[in-house]
Amino acid sequence: MTDPQPVKPSPSTLNRRKFLAAAGAGVAGGSLLTMLDAKQAPAQIKGTTLRILQWSHFIPAYDTWFDSKLTKEWGDQHGVKIRVDHIPHLELPARMAAEYAAGAGHDIIMNGSSILTRLYYKSLADLSDIYEAAGKKHGGWIPTAKALVEAEGRQYGIPLFYILLPMTYRKDLFDANGLKAPDTWELARVAARTLKPKGHPTGIQFSQCADANLNWRSILFSFGGAELDPSGENVLIDSKETREALRFAKALFDEGMTAEVFSWDDASDNRYLASGIACWVHDAISAYRTTEDTNPDVFKNTFIGMEPAGPNGKRVNTCAANVWMVWKFSKNQQAAKEFLTHMVDTFSEGMTASRGYNMPYLNGLAKKPMPVIGSDPKLQILQDFPPIVAFYGYPGPFITPIQEVVNLFVLPDMFTRVARGQSIEDVMKWGMGEYRRIFAKHKRA
Amino acid sequence: MTSASLQGGGPEPTARAAVVSVAAPARSRLMFRSQTSRRLAFGYLLLAPAALYVLLLVGAPFLFSLYLAVSDANVGDPVAKFIGVENFRAALEMEVFWTALQNSVIFLVVAAIFKSILGTSLAFLLLQEFPGKKLIRGLVVIPFTLPIAISVLAWKWMYDSQFSVINWVLSRVGLIGQYGTDSWPIWLGDPKLALLACIAVNVWRTFPFSAIVLLAGFTSVPLEVLDAAKVDGCSFFQRFRHVVAPMIFPILMIGFLFDTVFTLSDLSVVYLLTQGGPANASKILPVLAYQIGIQAGNLGRGAAIALFLVPLLAPLMFLFLRNLRRREY
Repeated sequence: MTDPQPVKPSPSTLNRRKFLAAAGAGVAGGSLLTMLDAKQAPAQIKGTTLRILQWSHFIPAYDTWFDSKLTKEWGDQHGVKIRVDHIPHLELPARMAAEYAAGAGHDIIMNGSSILTRLYYKSLADLSDIYEAAGKKHGGWIPTAKALVEAEGRQYGIPLFYILLPMTYRKDLFDANGLKAPDTWELARVAARTLKPKGHPTGIQFSQCADANLNWRSILFSFGGAELDPSGENVLIDSKETREALRFAKALFDEGMTAEVFSWDDASDNRYLASGIACWVHDAISAYRTTEDTNPDVFKNTFIGMEPAGPNGKRVNTCAANVWMVWKFSKNQQAAKEFLTHMVDTFSEGMTASRGYNMPYLNGLAKKPMPVIGSDPKLQILQDFPPIVAFYGYPGPFITPIQEVVNLFVLPDMFTRVARGQSIEDVMKWGMGEYRRIFAKHKRA
Repeated sequence: MTSASLQGGGPEPTARAAVVSVAAPARSRLMFRSQTSRRLAFGYLLLAPAALYVLLLVGAPFLFSLYLAVSDANVGDPVAKFIGVENFRAALEMEVFWTALQNSVIFLVVAAIFKSILGTSLAFLLLQEFPGKKLIRGLVVIPFTLPIAISVLAWKWMYDSQFSVINWVLSRVGLIGQYGTDSWPIWLGDPKLALLACIAVNVWRTFPFSAIVLLAGFTSVPLEVLDAAKVDGCSFFQRFRHVVAPMIFPILMIGFLFDTVFTLSDLSVVYLLTQGGPANASKILPVLAYQIGIQAGNLGRGAAIALFLVPLLAPLMFLFLRNLRRREY
């Protein structure tokens, strides 16, 4: 039992300034929600210009739809001129830093894979109102979404879609060799071991690229490993499960891959599959689409499977997150918020335009059948992925030190070092050293 | 003039002298004001844009990066506080920093050697008379003038592990084995080859610049001096070493200086080809500074890493410039 606390004067005594602030926020929030509900623009956004910076989508048809239909129709309807600039996703962090430094640039800016909410939230507009509204309207967000955009209890971004990296395999090769579908990582390894001598190895990037960061985490997490605890305070890499995952990766490389994987970039596995060589790849469905577009014979026999399970049956798919934010310096925040809400509401249309590439963070939008993937027998399995989706830092949040770990490719380098022959203990020592150094540095800061 | 006036004697000349002695410095001051000072002012005026350029575009960013390096600045926080040499200490603690530093030095030295050899050879070739000389002179600078992103992406394809045109040609002529065998080089995946592959692209891009600088130097050597050396029985290499090289030394030094700065600060080639991989085997300081400073958002630490280039470059620059100045006298 605890002693009763002395009664303190209420801190929420209302003075004139607080009253005005609260009333102002209430009126502004209420107006926005009313406006969003009525689907009609207030007079003040008419005649304005909205500038959006985002990546060049891996499925070009999505950009065509976004630029010539979505933005155009919404802009015409609301009297807002929209200008969309596309740049490669790897350049987004540098552009964001430049716009922040200049205090000028686009109104809406996208983050792809590298989510920088926690670095910039002091300079970003608070989007909690539209985040909450979208959650209520569309059946709630998947649990891992909030950590991507939240800082100090507020939401500073709208997670619009994430990208799955499923198992994509050649069914003809598997069938011809009496192999079971790669439903577990062990079965995938057996397949690679069997098919490599027949000219069909597999490949996962042992290099410094985004897919390497995602794929090796999927394996690590499926093996029961973890990067951070849910509080984000403690690094959990030094574990038996990580050692198991590293051991597995070494065996997978030795038995089922060639040295090419050390030079791969994000698109190399697409080409490997499309060229007819790979027996399986673990990649976004752009690999599947590339094969469809360039090699119909291989495509006929290319299938997508559930995320392979680890030794204890656990399945985790580490996905590339995408988040849209609004700068605090934007003079058109109201239009930006309304447009982002419209983007969420038209998600299904966007998913169709992306040929099933974009996956929703909102439960209501993930109901079966989902656009494109729900009607394609080979892709239907993707609808079962949302419960096993994870992001960097899993099961903890994607915090700033993890951002640095990701950008310095610490985890893929651990797997690369093991594949190149370093002992697992040496690699664990090196990897933990890097994690500790980065976290200590951020704590000191 | 004044002393000559005084020699005349009598009151009149004295008075004249007094007049002259007062008037002469006044006139000279006037002349100074009217001619020398005007010339000086004009000189400073001509220098002003260059001085302003250096101050604004070199001095100010340098001072700003010094400020960042001793602060905890990050990309999203407008407030940064002074933390002394903490960022430098943190950089020195990183294993990857030492790898990057070592790679940067290897990159600089190996690239400089190859650029010197290839640049000199190309400059001599371009000195010869042959049909289409002007066209060829224009074509050789194309690598230097192409947008770096485009040329490096082309090289990325040429180094591709599966579709490398270099490997397929080597394989067809029997120098390496078939695709999939151990003798098939993985240019960007082998730790030993990755850095060399990046250096090769840097050399390919910038050796035409070395050649053009050398060519400008060679054409400034008077033909009669070379002819005299020939008559005295000097071989080609003796002429180059004892006649041409000393005469074009200042140009060589300036070219070398530019090239050193360009090479050490070259971020694009490595970043676009390997991002510093595999496992940091091709990481150089500018790439590390970019990854930590911009991508990971840690501006202070990124600036500190980038500033490690200064102690690398400053002694070199100092030696070059001092040597150059001595030769001028």
